[in-house]
Amino acid sequence: MGDFQEYFGEIHEMVRHTVKRFVEREIKPYVDQWEEAGEFPRELYEKAANAGILGIGYPEAYGGSGGDIFVKVAAVEELMRCGSGGLTATLNSLDIAIPPILALGTEEQKMRLVPPVLKGKRIAALGITEPGAGSDVANIRTKAVKHGEHYVVNGSKTFITAGVRADQLTTAVRTGGEGYRGISLLVVESDTPGYSVSEKLKKMGWWTSDTGQIYFDECRVPAGNLLGEEGRGFYGITANFERERLQLAIMANMTSQMALEECLKYACEREAFGQPIGEFQVTQHKLADMATLVEATKEFTYRVAAKMDAGVKQIKEVAMAKNFSCTVSDRVTHDAVQIHGGYGYMREYLVERLYRDNRVLSIGGGTQEIMKEIISKHL
Amino acid sequence: MDFDFIESEQSLGRKITACFEEDAVALWKLSEKADSAEMQSELLKWLGRLAPTGYLSLAPEGGENHMRLALAQEALAAISPELFLTVEVSTRIFGRLIADFGTEDQKNEILPGLTAGEIIGSVALSDSEIEFDKGPRETSGTLVQEGYRVSGHKSRVVNAPVAHWIAAKGNTEKGIAVFLIKNDSAGIEVGNPLNTLGYAGCAISDISLDGCVVDSAYVMGPFEDEKVVRSLLAWEDQILTAASLGLMKRSMDAATAYAKGRKKTGKPLIAHQEVGFKLAEMLSLWQTCQLLFYRWAWMADTKDRETQTVRHCAKAFCAESAEKMASSALEVMAGEGFICGNPAEQDFRNSKYLQISGTPSAQSRIKIADNLLDKG
Repeated sequence: MGDFQEYFGEIHEMVRHTVKRFVEREIKPYVDQWEEAGEFPRELYEKAANAGILGIGYPEAYGGSGGDIFVKVAAVEELMRCGSGGLTATLNSLDIAIPPILALGTEEQKMRLVPPVLKGKRIAALGITEPGAGSDVANIRTKAVKHGEHYVVNGSKTFITAGVRADQLTTAVRTGGEGYRGISLLVVESDTPGYSVSEKLKKMGWWTSDTGQIYFDECRVPAGNLLGEEGRGFYGITANFERERLQLAIMANMTSQMALEECLKYACEREAFGQPIGEFQVTQHKLADMATLVEATKEFTYRVAAKMDAGVKQIKEVAMAKNFSCTVSDRVTHDAVQIHGGYGYMREYLVERLYRDNRVLSIGGGTQEIMKEIISKHL
Repeated sequence: MDFDFIESEQSLGRKITACFEEDAVALWKLSEKADSAEMQSELLKWLGRLAPTGYLSLAPEGGENHMRLALAQEALAAISPELFLTVEVSTRIFGRLIADFGTEDQKNEILPGLTAGEIIGSVALSDSEIEFDKGPRETSGTLVQEGYRVSGHKSRVVNAPVAHWIAAKGNTEKGIAVFLIKNDSAGIEVGNPLNTLGYAGCAISDISLDGCVVDSAYVMGPFEDEKVVRSLLAWEDQILTAASLGLMKRSMDAATAYAKGRKKTGKPLIAHQEVGFKLAEMLSLWQTCQLLFYRWAWMADTKDRETQTVRHCAKAFCAESAEKMASSALEVMAGEGFICGNPAEQDFRNSKYLQISGTPSAQSRIKIADNLLDKG
């Protein structure tokens, strides 16, 4: 007995406390209103930054507060407690937009593009998916042609989380021939001429997320915004997927956890046929199954996170974690609504939102089918 | 910090695998056809091979060694489910019962032979026609001059036909006691091995006790509470969960090898999405079960207050997942998986035992819910 140990220690608890306090004060009182309005105030980024939340897990040299992977896990878990998956994903859009800059960028790029985002002054988003290429990343069509000191970008991106308000988009573009070797990563700033944004997309869930479509029309992007070498973008994207998928797995787990907690409260309060519904064995067994699945999926996700933190490649494992956690959250949110009966269908009950917000988790960051493809190829 | 097993834990797992190489399954099949005496002799050979690895050693009194054993248990359960169950009942349940609840004389007399692989033990818990968690209703010991006179009928006792010692749980006037009975004692009658759906190579039978006199030196208890019962169930759940993981590994290995080795429409089966995706789901489920089991092991060793709830989660989840895995493996292997003797076919049959033994799945759910609702 020795190396197998608890994932969270004192520092992680401090992070939890910080995020929890922020969620209680700055988000929870307003989140229902923001959900209905379809967005949250832009100032929330700066407030989150001032509370030290946006910098969690990022290098101190660029304005972050450092820490291992579990500080990020703890932060995401507590942020999810706001009850809005859309808000969590959008406020955290930097977590998929910034890592490629840190991994592939020059020191100048890092100093220019990272600190303003961690300070909440600028919003960063990631642009991979296109109307004609989602899971099939190697087939993207947005083109970037080099002309002197600029790349001229033409094409479009869709389903971009935080895309409507993003100030900078870490964008997958085709600089070379067909296939994954022709893909590069370019940071496109929203004030670049030729950059335009659609209306917010109306969605089944994640209502507070300003998900949008981005258009590039002869958009001239400085060559200095290319991350790494031309043609290396695909590797940056796939490396980034590991963290994105981990984050989505954590979000799915928290969705399940909160749905379970809501059910436990409801099962004790709600009476039917003269007794609390928690007294019925059919409810008890449902709760037991939910709790078992939550326990199992959390452990799997934590273990994958630990291995990632130790530098062990987890391509297959993180795909398994994402798929399993989403399968669990599908079932748990379904059962949670079922336990709540008619109330579970009503907007004022959290399980209704959890049910809707959950659906995207097994699509975003790579669909369930793509995850299975990855796993089976690694067998 | 890589949150993994330490070297000694991994090493024991490797030793078990190396210990049997490829002959375990083949040899074990012989014992399916043997009578009780031959089965006992065969088992002792295997136990003798296991003993030097340290696998048969017991945790210090009151201590836990879940983590030390986790990988090794999983490895042995995958090599031979029947051998695993037999060894574990003998060592981890019978042996531990004596180590934790026995007198010094009992320990000195029985444990050295047990850990050396020279003795086989069995524990007789279930009386006929009783509720599983309410303790014995039929087997009872009456105080007499020589000790206790024990009578009752125990059903479905694993290892009974091959055991040298049987620990039978029974009621006395002062509470629950455990009677240590040699297999050739007067008044004990061990039935013929029962035909079962799975675990065909295990010796399982009923036992009748008819006025069997047990010297007081061979009695544990009487105990005022049911701690001994709770402990036995917890230990049983541990080995059944490890057994589930072993089954899953066997099913996974068999299905993967088949999918890689067979071709359909010009490409390996595994390259077909329907098969590849099924294997991906199987692998995810198996590894999820592993991690939940390890989590429980860690919590048990560190005496975490949530250990019992996680134990019930792990037991039910792993046992039910083992059946799903075996079923999926059968589908991948199609007709070949349906043939008797195939690991997937065996695992499919074996897996049912894991759900109904120890704490049955339905009972696990009740325990989990009780815990949840108390909190809620």
